[in-house]
Amino acid sequence: NPIVLDLAYNCVEFPSLESRM
Amino acid sequence: PIEDLFASLNKHIQRSEYKQVVKVADQVLGIAPGDEDAIRCKVVALIKNDSIEEALTAIQSARNLPIDFSFHKAYCLYRQNKLDEALDSLKSKERSTSSMLLESQILYRQGKMDACADIYQKLQKSNVESLEINAIASLVAAGRASE
Ligand SMILES: [K+]
Repeated sequence: NPIVLDLAYNCVEFPSLESRM
Repeated sequence: PIEDLFASLNKHIQRSEYKQVVKVADQVLGIAPGDEDAIRCKVVALIKNDSIEEALTAIQSARNLPIDFSFHKAYCLYRQNKLDEALDSLKSKERSTSSMLLESQILYRQGKMDACADIYQKLQKSNVESLEINAIASLVAAGRASE
């Protein structure tokens, strides 16, 4: 089968820390 | 103060220094156990560092906190090729673009090409970069290339 990209990896994101600094 | 630790965390995140992110997140958690942002930073950094087993351990140690890690847990299990468990973890979550992307990748690995292609068709309207690569792959694998 064709190779698929791990697009879910890009959904693993750091939280915004703007309000914590 | 904790604000300085978060500024340091932010700096390491911008530089993709994931081991440092884990280290500083642990420092925050030493002062403020259960801090959601710190735990999220730690789990994400472990995943980005390909420390999947450690990420699962961190998620497990946060199980009594009101933080939803079902997507992260499912992603880790997917990386370990524990596909049924990964799907189980996704089921506890409301469907979202990210959970549908992961579900489609799991179904692809399970050889469930029709179900996989159906999800990609539902995601067509979303703005996911490179989605068409996976969508076409699943249609080809499902014998539905004409779609
Ligand atoms: K994959």
